[in-house]
Amino acid sequence: MHLLVQSIGFGVAAGAVLALGAVGFTLQFGISNVLNISYGSLMSVGAFLGLFMLGLGLNIWLVMVIGGLAVGACSVVLNRGLITPLVRKGMAPFGLVIVTVSAGIVLEYVIVAVAGPATQTYGNRSGATLNFLGWTLTTAQVVIFAIAVVLMLGLHLLLTRTQLGRAMRATSANRTLARSCGIATSRISDIAWFMSGTFCGMAGIALAITIESFDFTLGSIFLIPMIAAAVLGGVGQPYGAMIGGLVVGIVSSVSSAYWDPAYQSVVAFGIIIVMLLVRPRGLFGSSTATRKLLA
Amino acid sequence: MHKALVLPLVGVMAVVAGCGSTASTGKAIKPGPINIGVIAPFSGPAAEFGTLISAPCYAAGDLINQAGGILGHKVQCTPVDDTGDPADAVPNVTRAIATISNFDLAVGLETNTAATTVPLVNRAQINMVTTNGLTNYDTTTDKYFWRLTPADDANGAAMVQYAYNKGYKRIAVVFENNSTDTGNTPGIEKAAAKLGVKLVTNTTIPADASSYSSVASSVISLHPQAIIFDADPQSTATFLSNYSQLTGGKLLPMITATDSLTPDWYNAVSAAVGTSFIFNKVDLVGSYFSTTTQAFYTYRNALLANPKTHSLADTLATVGPPASIYDGINIMALAMLMAKSADPTVYNAYVNDVVTPKSGAVVVDTFAAGKKALSEGKKIQYVGVLGPVTFNKYHNFAGAFAAARFTGSTTSVNAAIMPGSEISKLLG
Repeated sequence: MHLLVQSIGFGVAAGAVLALGAVGFTLQFGISNVLNISYGSLMSVGAFLGLFMLGLGLNIWLVMVIGGLAVGACSVVLNRGLITPLVRKGMAPFGLVIVTVSAGIVLEYVIVAVAGPATQTYGNRSGATLNFLGWTLTTAQVVIFAIAVVLMLGLHLLLTRTQLGRAMRATSANRTLARSCGIATSRISDIAWFMSGTFCGMAGIALAITIESFDFTLGSIFLIPMIAAAVLGGVGQPYGAMIGGLVVGIVSSVSSAYWDPAYQSVVAFGIIIVMLLVRPRGLFGSSTATRKLLA
Repeated sequence: MHKALVLPLVGVMAVVAGCGSTASTGKAIKPGPINIGVIAPFSGPAAEFGTLISAPCYAAGDLINQAGGILGHKVQCTPVDDTGDPADAVPNVTRAIATISNFDLAVGLETNTAATTVPLVNRAQINMVTTNGLTNYDTTTDKYFWRLTPADDANGAAMVQYAYNKGYKRIAVVFENNSTDTGNTPGIEKAAAKLGVKLVTNTTIPADASSYSSVASSVISLHPQAIIFDADPQSTATFLSNYSQLTGGKLLPMITATDSLTPDWYNAVSAAVGTSFIFNKVDLVGSYFSTTTQAFYTYRNALLANPKTHSLADTLATVGPPASIYDGINIMALAMLMAKSADPTVYNAYVNDVVTPKSGAVVVDTFAAGKKALSEGKKIQYVGVLGPVTFNKYHNFAGAFAAARFTGSTTSVNAAIMPGSEISKLLG
């Protein structure tokens, strides 16, 4: 029983990082309808920007904020410089996916060209070990979890209580109709890409803190679990992505405690397949609208 | 046909036939250097391995060139990027075989890609000195396959032998789930059964997970005295950090393979759990060779002399697989001299001859010494960094084993030696 409780705690900690990334991924997809596979590489960019800023002596949590914002800016550049022009030229969604895959590979090798292929580390940033509710977590894990919760709440308030949020939801529901209603949809799209990139960069830095060492493939490795979390929650559903991230984290953790850890991903993805067979729109997708919360 | 025409024609045919009979020396070397293809990952997450495995090639190549080269040709180490992925390796290696001139020797062909690269090179009739540890090559009949490093199961058995010698009777075994690391497992299981060592857990972990806390928690609950562990630097650092968090900083003695003896591993792990753990609790088991022979000094000095390998010299010089490549290249180069041909189909038959003891043979420890002796018409036996080499009928050689300890980020010292015969008995 102790192992089960502990494993759930480990899963929550790992899931918080996944949730951060998954929310950013699904937010951008919900608004722009582009499956951005370069998202993983942007996470790596965030981690390496963090490494650079730590070298300047900045505080790790400040680094997380600045790194997130910087990746947000990179994300906007990617949208404005690459995705939007191709969308205007009528490129099909599948073509856009390939473009983002290519952009991701280019980004990874830009990192290699600048920082090299070797493993990098922030050093031990875990802080003291905390024991509560039968869980054993580090201070860093608790702080990352708290940051994730605050960001999720902030996103919730933005989407439900502000003019911008309403405009984002309208754009997500029907871009053409939103534009005809006077909403500057391209500006909304930029904001969505920026917010998505910010979540992405922060997730990359959070991941680098958690796993202690990383290389340029950091984000790519975690892209699939993040997409899985987003799909599980219901594509385009930020709240779904949060829960999806936690579910993937907890299931992976508990399964590796009781079964061969090599198969932890198999268990997590197997459960996702079963759940989607039962509920194809994901946990938070309704039968009438796939983007209920955004729309 | 007029008789006057027939006779000259017969003469011409005789000359042609005569030329044919000299073809036993094989295809001629084209102008330019003899290329040694270093088949290893030079891109992707395992790119550091390509750098490490190229270093002994540069060392051997430099010394061979300083001695005047082979049959009037310089040698050149040419990277062939196998990317660390068996599928991606196929087009790259195929292209290299088709396009590289005088591609007469290949080295590297590491475990992750050996299943696809070894057959390609063997089919192309190019001799290879491989560092792969796959056990299915223990009894290979591939003519061009040559290996001077032990298979992974032997290394696994040596890890258990070392743990037993240290007095550990309860051991946890955790490996990353790849062919390199799990190749140790059969040897570990056999050795543990023979030595009466209890494996409290024998599990694998996925690479690069965001957390191994659950696995660490399971291991802790089984109270092992030591852990046999092998994974990439990133996964190792995460696992040890998770383990340390759960035990208040206490870590088990760790036995791992010498492939962890890299700056990458040292940097990742020291950042996660500190250098004290690395210096005092980590033992790296791998093939052994003396670091006090003249052959070793020559090898190490060659690594130090080349700017490309200077910074790696101290680490590399003490690790088995790179040393096996250095010796392997010297052996192959001397075989070319003995065969008077760089054609692998010809000099292949001379490889055993280079290392076999024989009466009246001059024992040489460098290519230069061997070349000189051969030019004087003497027989030779090459005894290099690895000591005397005896290939079995499957072209495999595995010598003794040692446990090493880090003494710095790029240095190590041998802590114990285990005879090869002792390890063979455990696997028998």
